[in-house]
Formats: sequence, C-alpha cells, structure tokens
Amino acid sequence: MNTSRPANDAERFLRLAQRGERGRLTVYLGMAPGVGKTYRMLQEAARKRAEGKDVVVGIAETHGRSETATLLEPLAVLPRKSIRYEGHTLEEFDIDAALERRPDLILVDELAHSNAPGSRHPKRWQDVAELLVAGIDVATTLNIQHIESLNDVVAGFTHVRVRETVPDSILASAEIILVDLPPEALIERLTAGKVYLPETAGRALANFFTLPKLAALRELALRFAAGSVDRRLLDELALTGAEGDFTVGERLLVAISAGKGGAQVVRHAKRLADLAHAPWTAVVVESGGARSIAGQQREQLAENLALASSLGASLLTVAATDVAQALVDEARNLRASQIVIGKSRRSRWFEWRHGSVAQDVIRKARGVAVHVVPLDEADEKPAQDRDANPWQAPLLALVPVAIAVAVLFAAEGLVPPAVIDMALLVPVIAAAVLLRTSAGLWAALWAALAYNYFFTTPRFTLLISDSANVVTFVVLALVAMIIGALASRVRRQAETSAGVARLNASLARYAGLLGGISDRDETARVACREIGALLDVEAVIVAREGERLVLRGNEGYTALDTVDEAAARWTLEQAVPTGRDTGTLNASDWQFHPLKTSLGLMGALGLARREQGRVIRADDATLLASLLDQTALAHERLVLEEEARQVGTLRERDRLRGALLGSIAHDLKTPLTAVIAAAEAIPDKGIYAEEVRIARSEARRLQRFLGDLLEASRIEDGGIEPRPETVDLTDIVAAVLRDLRQSESGGRVVTRVDPACPLISTDPVLLRHALINLLDNALKFSPEERPIEVALECDDTSAICRVLDRGPGLPADHEALFDRFERLEGSDRVGGSGLGLWIARNFVEALGGTIAASNRAGGGAEFAIALPLDPGAESEVHA
Amino acid sequence: MRKDVLIVDDEPAIRRLLVGALDRAAITHTEAGTAAEALRLAQATPAPLVALLDLGLPDRDGLEVVPQLAALGLSVIVLTARDATQEKVVALDLGADDFVTKPFDSEELLARIRSALRRKAGPLANSARRDFADGHIDRETHTVTVRECAVELTPREFDLLWTLADKPGRVVTHERLLETVWGPAHRHDLNYLRVAVRALRRKLEVDPGRPRLIVNEPGVGYRIAGA
Repeated sequence: MNTSRPANDAERFLRLAQRGERGRLTVYLGMAPGVGKTYRMLQEAARKRAEGKDVVVGIAETHGRSETATLLEPLAVLPRKSIRYEGHTLEEFDIDAALERRPDLILVDELAHSNAPGSRHPKRWQDVAELLVAGIDVATTLNIQHIESLNDVVAGFTHVRVRETVPDSILASAEIILVDLPPEALIERLTAGKVYLPETAGRALANFFTLPKLAALRELALRFAAGSVDRRLLDELALTGAEGDFTVGERLLVAISAGKGGAQVVRHAKRLADLAHAPWTAVVVESGGARSIAGQQREQLAENLALASSLGASLLTVAATDVAQALVDEARNLRASQIVIGKSRRSRWFEWRHGSVAQDVIRKARGVAVHVVPLDEADEKPAQDRDANPWQAPLLALVPVAIAVAVLFAAEGLVPPAVIDMALLVPVIAAAVLLRTSAGLWAALWAALAYNYFFTTPRFTLLISDSANVVTFVVLALVAMIIGALASRVRRQAETSAGVARLNASLARYAGLLGGISDRDETARVACREIGALLDVEAVIVAREGERLVLRGNEGYTALDTVDEAAARWTLEQAVPTGRDTGTLNASDWQFHPLKTSLGLMGALGLARREQGRVIRADDATLLASLLDQTALAHERLVLEEEARQVGTLRERDRLRGALLGSIAHDLKTPLTAVIAAAEAIPDKGIYAEEVRIARSEARRLQRFLGDLLEASRIEDGGIEPRPETVDLTDIVAAVLRDLRQSESGGRVVTRVDPACPLISTDPVLLRHALINLLDNALKFSPEERPIEVALECDDTSAICRVLDRGPGLPADHEALFDRFERLEGSDRVGGSGLGLWIARNFVEALGGTIAASNRAGGGAEFAIALPLDPGAESEVHA
Repeated sequence: MRKDVLIVDDEPAIRRLLVGALDRAAITHTEAGTAAEALRLAQATPAPLVALLDLGLPDRDGLEVVPQLAALGLSVIVLTARDATQEKVVALDLGADDFVTKPFDSEELLARIRSALRRKAGPLANSARRDFADGHIDRETHTVTVRECAVELTPREFDLLWTLADKPGRVVTHERLLETVWGPAHRHDLNYLRVAVRALRRKLEVDPGRPRLIVNEPGVGYRIAGA
C-alpha cells in the first residue's frame, strides 16, 4: 500500500503547514464540572500575558468562585453581546468584537455551549472554529462527555445523554491539556460546596457525581488525552519522515442504516477510526426498496449521514439489491480493512424471515474484519414491513389468485386438469412482480390452498385423498414460493437499475444542456432550472462581484436577507455547506453549497424548499453532489473558454502590431540614415554647435529605437536562429566599444578582460547586439561623469560578461526589467523603447545563456550575461 | 574628365548627402539610381575608380552587381547595415573591397574612399614590405617591426600578418585568411584562426585585451589598422 503514501504525506504536510497560519487551539479537558479547568486556563493565560502576549478573555464563567474571579481581574475582558430572545436578554460571546480586536490569544470558556438563537452560529465551537480560521489562538474548556464520539459511551454508564456535543474534528489539531483531579477529591469539593451546579440540572448532575461514574469518566478523559498526544506525535513523525508503515492503508467502512441506531454505529466507527488513525467512509446502500423509505426514516438517514460527515467520514451511496454484497464489494474497492455494521436484537424468527445483513456481511467478507455493533432499538426492520398494514399483502395477494380460480372454474372442462396446477402459478408471478415480495409469498400460499380446495378430490375441502395430489400440492406450493421470490427479486433489480439509469440519464442530460451553452448567465439559468426540477427545490447561484454578492439564474430571487447573505458569504469564504439543515447559520432559509473547481471557488449554489423538512432528501444527496460537480465544471469551462478567447485575440493583435511595427521601422530606416549622415556632416562649431549636437544625438536615439523595433518584430516572428562559431570574447567587447565610439559617450567605458578566457562557441552577432543593448542601458542611466565598466571573466563552466554602472541602481522588484516595454520609474526622461533589455534577454537565451540584473555594493546596477563554455572550442594550437 | 567615385543608391536623399560630402572633400563623382545605370556609367571612359554601392537597388540585387563592377576594374565599397553579417561576407567574397556600415559617419566614409583611391592611383609597389599602423612587415628579410622593435613570429603568424597587412585598413574574411594561411581544407576551422590571432596580438598589441591593431568584425573577418 505504499502507493498511497505520498498523497497521505502531502495531506498531512498541508495540515501541518496550515496550522502555521491558523490559530492554535488549546483545550483544557476535564472529566466532569468542578475539576478546575477554567481556573487552570486562566492561570496559563496570566503566564502568557506575563510573556508579553496580548491575551483577551472572550468569555469565562467564574460560577461565583472567588479564586477564579481573582485570576480574571488583571485580564482584559471583552464585553458580552446581549441578545434578546422571547423577552429575555441573553448574554453571549461577541465573536465580531473578538475578530475586530484580534488578540494573540483569546479565552473562550465552555466549548460545548449552545449559543442563544439569533447568534451567528448555533454552537460556540463554531465561533471558535471561525476564530482559528482568522488566525487567532484560542484556549477553551471542555468536559469529556461533550465529545461527540464519546457521547454513547458516556451515556452508556451515566444514563445521562448530553445534548451539547462538540465534533471530534475541531479537537483533531488541538492541544489537549488534561485537568485531572482524583474522583474522591472532586466529591469532597462538591460536598464542601466549592462546585457550583446549575439548579436546572442539579439532580442529573448529582446523580452523575458518584465514585464509579467519576472513575469511569476519568479513565475516558485520560485515554482521550493520551490518544490525542499520540496522534499529534504521529503527525510530527510523519512530517520528519520518521514514521513507520503502521498507519498506512488502514481504512474503515461503516454501513449506515436509516434507524436511530445508525448514529450509534457511526460514533463507534469514529472511535475505531481514531484508534487506527485511519480514514473512514460511511456507505449507504440503496436497495430497491429504499426509495419507499418513509419520510421519518429518510430524515433519520440524513441525520446519520450528517453525523458521519461531521465526524470526518467521507460519504458514499451505492445502488444494489444485495446490501451485504454491496458493502463487501465497496470495502474491497476502497481497500477498507474493517467494516463496521450495526445489528439490532431481534428474534430468530425475524432473522430467519428477513435475513440479517450483518450475518451476510460476516459470511461474505474475506480478509476484512467485521465489527458488529449491538443496537439497543429493534428498528432495523426492512422498511417495507414497517408502516404497511400487516393485512395488506395477503389481501392483495388474494385478488389475482381469486381471479385465476374464477377463470379456471368457469373454463372447467376446457382446461386439462394437469394444466391447472401450472395455471395457478400465473397469479403468483403476477403478485410477485406487480406487488411486493411478501405478496408473492402469500399468493403462493393462497394458490396452493385454492388448488387443494377447488381442484383436488374431495373438492371444496382442504382434505386430500389422492396421494399424488398431496405431492402436487407440495410441489405447487414450493414452486410458487420460489417463483414468487425470484420474480420479486427481478422486480427490485429492475427498479434499482431503473433508478440508477434515471439518475445517470438526468446527469447526462444536465451535462449535455450545460455543455451547449457559452454564456455565463444562461448557464446559471439552465443550472438553476434543472437542479430545481431534479431536486424539487428552488435554486439560485450566488457569486461574488467585488465585495457584493450577486444572484444569478433565478429571476424569482434578486436579493438575500441578512441571515441568508451571511450564510452565502460563509460558504464562499470557507467553501463548506452553510445554512438550513447544516451546522452553521442554520437560521437561514437557504442551504448553500460551494461550487468548487480547480480554479478555485466559482460561487455557491443556494437551495431552498417552501415546505417543512430537509431541503435535500437523503437519497438525493449523491445526485446533488454530482450536480454540483457538473455545475462547477460548466462554470470552469466557461472561464477557461473566455480566457482562451482573450488569449487568442491578444495573440492576433500582437502579431498584427508586430507586423506593423516591422514595416514602419523599415520604411523609416532609409530617411533616418540620411538624417544622421546629414547631421554628422554639419560641423558642430559656431553658434549652432549645440543644436547640431542635439540633432545628432536625437537622430541616433531614434535610430536605436527603430533598430529595437525591428529586432523585436524579428524575435516575435521566431526569426532568431543563432549561427554559432568559435568566438574570442575579446573581439566582441572590442567591436561593441567601436560601435559606441561611433556614436557618443563611448569614452566613458572601461574594459577589464581576463586574458585566460577560453574561446567559446556562440553567435557573435547576437551576442554583440545583446551587449550593446546592455551598454546603451547603462549609459542611459548612469551620470555622465561616472565610468561604465565592461568586465569579462570566466570560471570552469561559463563565460560571464558584466556591464557595471554607477547609476541609481535597480528597484526592489526588478524581475520585470527584462519584460517588454518595461522601464524603470522616471526613466522616460532618458528615453528608450523599453525593448532593449527584452531583446538582450531573448538573444542571450537563444544562445543558451542567462542574463541577470542585480544591485552593486556601493550603488549602481550590474547586468551579467553568462554563457556556457564549450569544452571542445579551444583545441590544440595550430599556429 | 574622370569621375573618381561612382555613387550607386536608389535614395535621392542619400545620394545628395554623399554628393555633398564628396564635394567638400573635392572628390569628383557621378551618380546612379539603378544597377543598369551604374553598369553603364562604370563603362564610361575614363572609368570611375571607386564604386560606392548600396545593395538595395530597385532593378537588381546589389550583390549581383558587385562582381560585375569589380570585373570592370572598380574598387567596390559596399554600404550595408550593422547586423547584415552574411551580406558583408558574401559581398567581400564576390570581390568587394570594403564595406561601410549604415548609418555611416562621413569622416569614416571619406577615409575609406581616399584609401581606395590611393590604392588605385599608385598600385602598390611590388615590394616585399607592407606598412601598417605602428609597424611594418618585410617578406624578404622575414622581419616584423612594431613600434621600432623587432618581433619574432612563427611562420603561421608571419603568413597571417602578411595576409592582413597586404590589405591595410580593409577587412579580410575569416575564410580567406584560413584558406590563405592554413590551406583550403581548413577554411572553416575558425578556432585555428582565433588562437593564432590571440598569439599575434600578444606579440604586437599594446593591450591584447583591448586590441587596436588587429581588429575583428564579428562574423566577418579581421582588419589591420592601416599606416
């Protein structure tokens, strides 16, 4: 399983890297209220403050304990936010004030607290998550029974189910500090009145504080803290590469059912996954009957899935008739090493009749460990039996049998007696195919009885006189049952594949529709219309335009109210589902889903449903995921198409401009030659001496300019083909100096040549041109009295030609210097086409060399051309 | 009356400029705007001595005209662009005497013309001595003197220096030098030439890192500074 390692490593590394910019979470974990978590947290905060950290108390409950209050005194405390709710004023942690204040560390007591209705997040841990995302360190307190994955365990021995739970995911990267106290000491503190108990929960809590229960809670807390240390250690080890292979390849698969017990199975799986440090996947198998799951059960299934997702599972829905086989197949596909499945306590009779998925999985699984979680509630019955009238199936089955009997009776004499028993199979098949499995079985029973009653002697009794008829009766009953079972299985398979086919057809149609559109608004409109129709919801696409949010695709909605907008923004910022039925801002009427693409977030899809209930039904979750993918892909395609179009236009425009420049430059060349020759011919003496000099230098400048344009258009046409020959760099430098002396200011240039430089193989014309451009540039920028230096030196691998000036030097961000039309700030004064360095770079790169610019010590700039040395260029001397 | 210089250029402005410069230098001249006219004027009697030839002509490729003018006994100076290296090499191979890079410096141009006229007027004494800036080379005595000092050269270096000094102030292409000094088989072994020139410079130049006597036209050839 080594193949999965790099991806895993990358993921872990990312997580660790992210931890750098995210805030760090410190959790003071206790086994029960009263162990001194807040006190300890405040102590640590005081220490951090003494170290010079900006520490702020976001919210801290002293519960009237004076020691705690004393600790709180020196610390800055954020004012609480008052929220009016049903006539009461509730005081809550003010997350906006905290984000505004941006302290190094903020204390937010009681992580499991539920916020007052109307707050940004329903849960305090969500406030904390936002603070962490904003890069603020948070310290908080938590009791062990509030941890989601331990919820069942705690409830199991305390018989108190805690409603306020914190998902394990937020604790995954937290530093857990265990605040421990022996149970005896805690009870002592309790009886001494040192522990404040909320009156409302007084009895329950008092019931809680017994020695055995506290001992169990303490053990749980210790184990959790140890596990957390272990996990963090593994992360660090993975980062340093010191980790062994023991965590690689483990994966858990948990089967999710629609029953209440599903949640229990999910929590169990989460604990196992944590112990194994393994990723886990929650699988829902849609057997044929699943579409007929009653409303309440569907809700439950959605809840179970949501729980699994919040505990860190990835979700998967597969369609199959054989649930057990599908689970085992999926386990093999995902290379899962363990399957977790629930099993309710049911009678043997029930299991004999309906079979047990858990049993089947155990029988079929090979090389996979199966964990069976015993469930308290006997709610794992197949759905179709649950809400149907128990008499419905036998009565319905009676109908086709009765019709068949009536027909056979009426046609007696025409039908040979031997055919009657076969003819009675017809209503059985009809019942099995058209009705339900159970109806088929009932029909088989009715048919057998009818055969006995109506057609065997003695007739109109259930007695059988002929032993041959006994055999016929038994065979008929058996055949009818088998055929009934088979027929109903065929029907279910047909239904399942029809369902899958419908799903695929919808998706294909959707993709096809979107694929044909090349306009963003139209895409949004079609997407919203189709998604709305497929999921029976209202859909709208929300995108960010600058700071504003815009709605697209649904004329019925043009603006969002404050809560909805906050939810949409949260989705756009955090790329997570937000709003109705989610854990964040669920006061919103809309549920927003991120449209993720490889180019980033394209926007959010908002979904709403007029009636009550969940926006997205559980069995539509997979469809929604596919629709989101398709929508995001369509948007991504549009963006890419648009970019491609723009690039195409730009390239065409560039080409035309290049051609135009080339031809203009060519036409200007000849007259300019005349101008320069004329200007050179006029003696620069007498009263017009200065004017003549200006005419000369400006004409030369214009000539350089034109030369640059011509070279640039040549480069753009791809017209530079180096013709390398053996070159003595001394010659190139000398030629460049001659060129300059021909014009002006060549006398300022001094050369420093390393005589040991070997001959190199390069194109002398291109190199000379590049060097002239560098010198031109240096002459332009350095003050006239300062010399410019050309230095030629070599090392073992390359020849380096430097041009050094004492001008103003380069700006900090000088990477763009070698780009086209790039000029230093304020360089308009000295003029130039802005092409010189770009041309030099192109030429040098065509020669296989590199060009670099840097600032010199003592002021000025240095440009260096480095060319690779050709070891064969200098062969033996033939002089 | 003899016209010393034949100006061949299709641009009237350039022709007028060249005319002005030659007038001031008191050099007689005649001008042509096309290759056909140039060839006609070159056959006048007495024929011009030097042709100043722009290669961009309306009726024919200037390079075709080079050997024809040379065959008529004219010394051809080609006007060409700085980076048109191949054009220069081909023109020199076809019999051009020299080239001047556009946009030209009229002083440099006049110097070249005067030097060409001098060569035409008094054909070089068929002596064994050639002069160049700072010194001379003597084939008879096999001696080289630079800044009044005798210099020892290897036979190859001597041949190379002689080939260059035979045309002082004018460019001799790399191929010509290699062919003459090393033989036709080595006309592309440029590194032989580079190494030899380095050695020669070490013996003759004041500062071999900044050569002034033996000058290279990158991609074209070498020129020795005239006396």
